[in-house]
Amino acid sequence: MSFDLNLILDSLPRMLAGLGVTLQLLVVSGLLGLILAILLLLMRLSGKFYLDWVAQVYIYIFRGTPILVQIFIIYYGLPQFEAVRDSIFWSILREPTGCAILALTLNTGAYVSEILRGGVLGVDKGLLEAGSALGMSARQKFIYITTPLATRLALPAYSNDVISLLKSTALASTITITDMTGIARTIVADTYAPYEVFISLAIVYMIFTFGIQKLFGVFERYLGRYARREE
Amino acid sequence: MLTGWWDDYLWGAVVVAKVFAASLSLMILFGLIGAAAKLSDNPVAQKIANGYTVVFRGTPEILVILLLYFGSAIALTAVARLFDPDVRFVDVPPFWAGTIAIALIVGSYATETFRGAFLGVKPGSIEAARALGMSPLQTFIYIRIPEMWRIALPPFGNHMLSLVKDTALISIIGLNETLFVAKQAITVTGKPFTMYIVVGIIYLGFSTLITLSVMGIEKYGNRTTVGAR
Repeated sequence: MSFDLNLILDSLPRMLAGLGVTLQLLVVSGLLGLILAILLLLMRLSGKFYLDWVAQVYIYIFRGTPILVQIFIIYYGLPQFEAVRDSIFWSILREPTGCAILALTLNTGAYVSEILRGGVLGVDKGLLEAGSALGMSARQKFIYITTPLATRLALPAYSNDVISLLKSTALASTITITDMTGIARTIVADTYAPYEVFISLAIVYMIFTFGIQKLFGVFERYLGRYARREE
Repeated sequence: MLTGWWDDYLWGAVVVAKVFAASLSLMILFGLIGAAAKLSDNPVAQKIANGYTVVFRGTPEILVILLLYFGSAIALTAVARLFDPDVRFVDVPPFWAGTIAIALIVGSYATETFRGAFLGVKPGSIEAARALGMSPLQTFIYIRIPEMWRIALPPFGNHMLSLVKDTALISIIGLNETLFVAKQAITVTGKPFTMYIVVGIIYLGFSTLITLSVMGIEKYGNRTTVGAR
């Protein structure tokens, strides 16, 4: 057992070649997941019991099962049906990348909508009453009062979810995608040097986690720039 | 439809439950040690605990599992060769490699939960205990612990859900849990959707069970809390 520095220098550039795939999975499913989360949130806040119920069941299922199982159901499971193979979605579902993005989107959407709901519920009732007193409509109150304040409240929890999404993209390697983890697993299978390869890759992921945290920290301070009086 | 596979899924579910039980105890242990280190006055212990939470919260779960599985096999082989040069390879059971890996990961989250919960114990309660002449140990057992676990329970419930869902990842290193059973069933039946949906339903069952238990314990914990919430 020895630590081979040359192997790290040799394999690190190869793994970083998968950075584009990892970031593509993160950004695309992150944005689509956010849109889905907002839709689910609006369904839950709609006051219509059937919309609320559908959203709740959706969130319950996607938060209650492992993301790996969701990826496998979409990638290996859906082609079991002829209807799926004949449908217009087949061009997406045939590709592992499309399946991974779909699974990550559906998964993160469920988590993020709960985070956003926490933010909305945390908005001070007094401010909404003040809005009513000023004659704002329900829609105006939602856009001008609830949304900006809820964003600020939900941001710390949301940044944690972006980090867990980054970590979940590593699971795409289980369905033949050559993201950073996928390449690392290939290298380890060839060289049988798990320490060198996996530890250096872990450091790469940690740098990105750190970057995401800092980025959201800056955004948080920007959103909270009016509230910085106490302390 | 599932003829012949029911018992395999059942044993797969038993493996999930076993991993959950083993990793839960380890996770609590790691979390408590981490929280104790972070709350201690010892700067070295604090640094180590900080490093632990940064590393395990910033690394993908699958990497930790793969590293622990392949890494410990290599390390143990090297150790075994010191005693017997003829040893070719030491096999590490995926059950323990996986259990320890997910316990370490979720334990890093539990560290923060426990730390926050211990800090959330009201100073007034501790002063009251001192006024009553309780020793630090008595204060810890009768005041800090009962107040702390009520604060920690809701996030702790989420940690338990993460643990049970992370069990699925251990199938990657060959643990014969439900996802692994499904793979075998698919090669025979050629029905991937059906077989993976069953896995999903089993995990949903585990999640529901945990959520309901946490709700029950929460209710039990708050039975004496008058006027709160």
